[in-house]
Amino acid sequence: MTVMDETFWGAQATSVDALERELARLRRAAVEDAKGRGHTLARASVLNLVVYAEREVHARRAARTIGELALRHPSRAIVLLGDHHREGVIASVRLHCQVPHAEGAQPVLYEQILARLRGNYDERVASVVIPLLVPDLPVFLWWTGTPPSDARHFDDLLSLADRFIVDSADFARADRTLPEIARLMRLRGGITDLNWARLTHWRELIAQFFDGPALRPFLAGVVGMRAGFAVDMDGREIHPSQALLLLGWLASRLGWRPVEALAASEAGGLLFRMRRADGATVMVRLRPRFERGLDAGDLSGVRIQAALGEHTAEFVVKRAPDRRHGTATAIVDGTLRVERVVVLSALGIRELLGEELTITGNDRVYEDALGALMGLA
Amino acid sequence: MTVTLANPLRDGLRLERTPEPACLVIFGASGDLTKRKLMPALYNLALQHLLPTSFAVIGSARSRMTADAFRAELHEAVAEFSRTRPIDEEVWAAFARSIDYVATPDDSGYDRLREALARFDTAIGADGNRLFYLATPPAAYEPIVRAIGAHGLRGESGWSRVVVEKPYGRDLQSAMRLTSAVQEVFREDEIFRIDHYLGKETVQNILVLRFANSIFEPIWTRQHVDHVQITAAESIGIEERAGYYDSSGAMRDLVQNHLLQLLALVGMEPPAAFDDRSVRDEKVKVLRALRRISPEDVGSLTVRGQYGPGFVGGERVPGYHDEAGVAPDSQTETFVALKCAIDNWRWEGTPFYIRTGKRLPKRATEIAIRFRVAPHRIFTREASAGLEANELVIRIQPDEGISLIFGAKVPIQGLRIRSVNMDFGYGESFMVDAPDSYETLILDALRGDGTLFTRRDEVEQQWAFVDPILAGWQENRQELATYAAGTWGPAQADALIARDGRTWRRP
Repeated sequence: MTVMDETFWGAQATSVDALERELARLRRAAVEDAKGRGHTLARASVLNLVVYAEREVHARRAARTIGELALRHPSRAIVLLGDHHREGVIASVRLHCQVPHAEGAQPVLYEQILARLRGNYDERVASVVIPLLVPDLPVFLWWTGTPPSDARHFDDLLSLADRFIVDSADFARADRTLPEIARLMRLRGGITDLNWARLTHWRELIAQFFDGPALRPFLAGVVGMRAGFAVDMDGREIHPSQALLLLGWLASRLGWRPVEALAASEAGGLLFRMRRADGATVMVRLRPRFERGLDAGDLSGVRIQAALGEHTAEFVVKRAPDRRHGTATAIVDGTLRVERVVVLSALGIRELLGEELTITGNDRVYEDALGALMGLA
Repeated sequence: MTVTLANPLRDGLRLERTPEPACLVIFGASGDLTKRKLMPALYNLALQHLLPTSFAVIGSARSRMTADAFRAELHEAVAEFSRTRPIDEEVWAAFARSIDYVATPDDSGYDRLREALARFDTAIGADGNRLFYLATPPAAYEPIVRAIGAHGLRGESGWSRVVVEKPYGRDLQSAMRLTSAVQEVFREDEIFRIDHYLGKETVQNILVLRFANSIFEPIWTRQHVDHVQITAAESIGIEERAGYYDSSGAMRDLVQNHLLQLLALVGMEPPAAFDDRSVRDEKVKVLRALRRISPEDVGSLTVRGQYGPGFVGGERVPGYHDEAGVAPDSQTETFVALKCAIDNWRWEGTPFYIRTGKRLPKRATEIAIRFRVAPHRIFTREASAGLEANELVIRIQPDEGISLIFGAKVPIQGLRIRSVNMDFGYGESFMVDAPDSYETLILDALRGDGTLFTRRDEVEQQWAFVDPILAGWQENRQELATYAAGTWGPAQADALIARDGRTWRRP
């Protein structure tokens, strides 16, 4: 326990009861403090947010995000920082709490608790979390990293949660984990993926090409789809999950079935042969590209090719180098039909999580997109 | 080519709001409404990806202007009035590419407009879908609609709709005449009459509060509600609108449309579905049940007032007669208070008090549902001295929210009861900028959803209620009372509600 730790995570308590007392004390102090400056302080809570992390950087990133979101989604946040491998330490739980408030006109009180778990804590995680949940409010579980299969702590936390948030961009092997998530989805609903939320603007722009009856028939005549996604300079590790989700979405909406995954091309991309509902073939290529300024895995562009009788068409959405804009173009028989500059900013974790916390229902389209990917693994 | 039905990519939770490709034609394109409201709303829709890929705006007005000059004018207006600033130049540039301008000083202008529309139909694939927006002074509504019909501006394929701004007529007669004129060119389901109050998030929230929750509806009746107060207070005067305001007054400007809409939303029965037909059917029913105030009754059930000089926000302000552009002997009312009754099973005996005015102490629009006091008092009179009846307040602007007032024990030894306020602020629970009402309404009109627009029978019921009151005032059966600017209206308004043993809330 360092001084740094104390400043970032706040005061420490040894038991859940002590923690509640400490929270109450902090709340009163914050209200007093606000009063002194002529504010009234609202204690607001619209949800419980449980974050599970096994890396300190993830835990801190989550804590910061929650703090920034406090005005929009004031919550009781419980950050669980686990360390299975710490040797020589008996299983232990350490609790920290914090009642920060934003500077400015509308101070809002929210609570953040850190529980450090060490050793073999799998069985006791739920018993730490349950008494800390604010009654009657929905529980969101945000799992950073790759969710394990067949682990007690994961199952226990999942059963407490009304909604389960993952970020498939963090998955070590997206091609294996995404089908796992799909299977989980069949067992319980309420799963959402921040990486899926990153695709919303892309999906919107692609869908808009086909809103008018003039271009819509081309949807039935897609022959090829290519998507580029960013990799690091060395290009050793690739994170194709965003591109895979986009493929899953198109396949599920348009009724494509996977036929085979072809050998990786020399550029390290993924190649698939799919079959349309009418039996024709769709060739799909997901290609890693080095793009300055994009996070690994982020889409850089999508190209959809279609043929219909004698007509051919190409629909392209591309991210502009400034990271904030993109272009959407449609070319029919070699003639430019649509060309637009649109806002296509890469959303930060805060915007993504903020959006996900407003959704409490099931996202059937995400479910379908995952389902379409199951045959590819 | 085969005909595909719906766009299969449009399915699902997040992508359902974008309308089909279309051309928007704004008449009155050089006016204030276009600059302050319509263009900023369109730009913000573009920013949120809510406009269709194929979308064009054609501005039209009498004056001659190049398309470039028009775009430059709009750019300046958006930069000044958009709710998101600074403006994203690249998005604006892309959006501005499909903005055009066609002058319509005479008949031949409409032919050029038809040609421009046909050009856009092929250029962007708008498929003949057109939305005509009448943002002109009301005198121009009829001639423009006639010209739309006479010059064949409706597309041969696709849909055509028309948005008509307020004021919609100045009495029942003129409103009906306007509807007949518009219906020569457009079917009723193609006519979208704007009441921008309905585009406000909190106004839509009245329906959510009432019909998505089960705890309010059972007590939303005469047995439990003592009375309802609807207040729309403005602290400003008439600003630069003297010409329009002096000929219409508070009754036509606010009561006929906005306040009667609020009354209808609070008083209506639960609709069977949240769609344009069911919601508007129920609103019309309650407006029909609204008891008419005959000219003979205006003396006892209405108050009309006009502000004199006074102080607002610490500043000395002139009286209505001293405002520029107002006739020195003007009898126009700037304040209205009404006692209304709804003659139906739910509301028999529960009055609805309405008041609105300019130059009141603060800007506040709210609806207060005052409940009956507890039937039997078990606490001593001394203990419950600080106790008021329960009240549910729906605040519409500013600081949208809902508060519930109830009694609680003061934490001391012994028993003292005081009213406390349980407050819910939209701002604090959803820290996002609510969309502007024009964004909501333009989008709905493009999508053909009329739920938040006023239907023909609704407008006619509103005027049918307002007309006899105006007639009674015309015959001087209720004098025009003066109130000092910065007060809550004339003493007669207090007397109106005090006669029933009640008082106005202080919003």
